[in-house]
Amino acid sequence: MVRFKNRYVLCEVVAEEPRGRHCIEDRAVGTAVRDAIARAYGDYGLACCSVSFTVKYLNAYTGTVLLRCRKDFHRLLCSALPLVRQLESRGLRCPCFLSTLHVGGTIRSCQKFLIQHNRRQLLTLLQNCTNEEERQRIRQSVLSCSLTEGQSQSGDEEEEDDTETD
Amino acid sequence: MPPPAAFERRVLRNAAGHHYLRVRLELPDGGARPSAAQLKQLVVAALRELHGEVGAALPVDVLTYEEKTLSAILRVVSSGFVKLWSALTLLGFYQNRRCAFRVLQVDISISSCVIWEQ
Repeated sequence: MVRFKNRYVLCEVVAEEPRGRHCIEDRAVGTAVRDAIARAYGDYGLACCSVSFTVKYLNAYTGTVLLRCRKDFHRLLCSALPLVRQLESRGLRCPCFLSTLHVGGTIRSCQKFLIQHNRRQLLTLLQNCTNEEERQRIRQSVLSCSLTEGQSQSGDEEEEDDTETD
Repeated sequence: MPPPAAFERRVLRNAAGHHYLRVRLELPDGGARPSAAQLKQLVVAALRELHGEVGAALPVDVLTYEEKTLSAILRVVSSGFVKLWSALTLLGFYQNRRCAFRVLQVDISISSCVIWEQ
């Protein structure tokens, strides 16, 4: 046994109400997932998955969550994710569900997938725009985002990595 | 002190559908004894505590039950055999009374379990 292998599960928190965004924080998501595993798989399942379980990355604006668990028990985790029905934080409860986007062995592979996924999402959102004003605003913000020099962009997975000029 | 039980283990390689366990419930305080339905509920509750909803959904049957000696024969699918035995081992309470499950015999065929000595 050389090293401990992990699996990174990339999911998206989908909440119906727009004000549910404030509930999304790493401790709330971690507790909700742990409760779902405890209900579905009992004490044994909870202990198995909790060995190396953390919320590695969370983005409240897009609702992207990256969870980590041991490789042997990632099926337990993935099958318990649909059982999460609400997130609770600071006394607020917001009903939501988690949809799994990608399961990878490293954070880097999940990051690559997330970049491509966000690119496709931007195109879909552009097509689904109802009025011209929104369309113009999206085009403007996409064209204006750029990679500034001298600043580490490793945390920014949402913005496009290519520089575009007018 | 009863003499230590002789332990014998025979391993058969052919996969069977079910495993049969002969168990005895020990209730040291002399209180009301559970009925067959209550015993089944106790077993399912033990599975639910240790293995969650997935464990509680295991098809477990109480084939025979003697209320006087509190012994029973349980049948479980072979894939859930380890879950059932571990849940029975870790069960400690029945209606807030101390209890313990003693597993006397385990087999893959019912015929050897039926022949039991009193």
